[in-house]
Amino acid sequence: MEKKFIEVWEDTVSLQDLLIAMFISLLLGLGGYLIAPARPPLPLIFSLIGTVIAFIVNSVLFKQKRKFQIQEME
Amino acid sequence: MDFMLLIQLILAAVAGAVVYTLIGVAPGTDETAVLAPVTLAIVLAGVNPMVVLCFFMSAIVAKKLTDSIPVAVAGIPGGVMAAPMVEHAVQLKALGLADSSIRKMASGSVIGTLVAVPLSLLLARALIPLGPVISKHAGIIFFFGAIFLALMAKEKIISLISILPFGILIIALRHFYWGIGVVPRERTPFISFFLAITIGPMIYNLLEVAVSSKRREMERAEGKLIELAPDQPVTGRVPNPFKILNSQERVSSILGSILGTATFFMSPVGMTIFIGEIFSSRIKDTAKKAAVAISTMDAITNATYIAGVLIPLIALGVPLSPMALGPANPLFNAPPVLTLENNLHHILSFANISFATIVGALIALAITYPITIKYSRPICLFVFRRIPHESLLAMFFTLVMILAFMDAGLVGMIGVILLAMVAGMINRWGVNYGVQFMILYAAPWMINTFFAR
Repeated sequence: MEKKFIEVWEDTVSLQDLLIAMFISLLLGLGGYLIAPARPPLPLIFSLIGTVIAFIVNSVLFKQKRKFQIQEME
Repeated sequence: MDFMLLIQLILAAVAGAVVYTLIGVAPGTDETAVLAPVTLAIVLAGVNPMVVLCFFMSAIVAKKLTDSIPVAVAGIPGGVMAAPMVEHAVQLKALGLADSSIRKMASGSVIGTLVAVPLSLLLARALIPLGPVISKHAGIIFFFGAIFLALMAKEKIISLISILPFGILIIALRHFYWGIGVVPRERTPFISFFLAITIGPMIYNLLEVAVSSKRREMERAEGKLIELAPDQPVTGRVPNPFKILNSQERVSSILGSILGTATFFMSPVGMTIFIGEIFSSRIKDTAKKAAVAISTMDAITNATYIAGVLIPLIALGVPLSPMALGPANPLFNAPPVLTLENNLHHILSFANISFATIVGALIALAITYPITIKYSRPICLFVFRRIPHESLLAMFFTLVMILAFMDAGLVGMIGVILLAMVAGMINRWGVNYGVQFMILYAAPWMINTFFAR
């Protein structure tokens, strides 16, 4: 069988999805930092907002890779 | 009390409770890795110290309540601190008692919090005279702290061997940043070093994907199998947390919390296993034994956590507990906003700290306890089904990169990866967070005393 997932940090991910997710996250996070007015703490706040948006985008864009099974009663 | 401040405290507590109720459920979310970067960002964003503390207390109480949910429902720890409970919770799940085990753990959590908050405040007051002595000799104390934690660790020898080389790596990188001029001499870069240790195990694991032989070992044909306990919906009113436990479970939870508070300077995971097994080992019946173990352990984790933050914060002003070195570290040291000479210990009075803590803890209990009892299964399913692991990994990675960029620019982002490689590797070998953070604090004293000319 083709092995299409990898297990990282206790859960399974697809390598391609992970790389795209990291790219989107870094883009919005660091992008927020760079477009913010250079008055601390604004750059940090902008990049935090960017990171949260990226988290939501990634969660909508990618499907989780877990498999569920309801346990039988013993 | 300023009315606006009170509103801010309440909002911070609600935000902390809601966010960490969800994060607590997500599998593999290490407390240090998910709490420290967020707290650090909030401190650096210039939020009022009382509001930060209130957020933090609410977040840990909520996270400790919910990280036991996936343990009970799926046998997967929602955090490092929930790991000791897995074995017992899996036994209860196999007996079809998953919902009873959630209630018992939640109840243990509530008891642990309610015992630890007042007890820690009292103990901290008693230790206040020690504060000035300890902070005056902080360097040498951190050094002996590193040796002490190394000797308490499972892997004693490699932990001891790591102290000097890891200390040298930290100081070398600092001097490199100063040398090439990315950080001015008068500022000591700290945040990126702290984050590198925090996120080390995760980065190390991510980098292993780039090693072809390692990647083959990590490849899976199917997604991680999550075995869920059968659905047993909770109906009616939310039960009183004090009536869920029988008298034996209640007594051992309370005693466990007291011991956990008194041993605030020890490793929380270590104490949880140690005390929890003492209370449960004499019981023969499997189900009874498991129930005592999980309720007591959940109480102890809460107590060691709360005491580990409050006692050093109130009495000492330097992070001298694994908890204060780890997740709560940004409350002690987040330059340029907070430093070891000017942190929450110095800025806030005893009354301020107590008030922010109590507001945070009570709001988290009031929000998260009923949710945990009534909606544990839907929350667990929501997180498992809707939150891909990719977006969690990407978010924490980005958070670290941004903060590293702020600390030391582009080269700081590479520096974090370098340090995380080493920190992650020695972490894998058994040099735990406590030892590594002690080395981070002890490094300047060590290098000056032993090697500088």
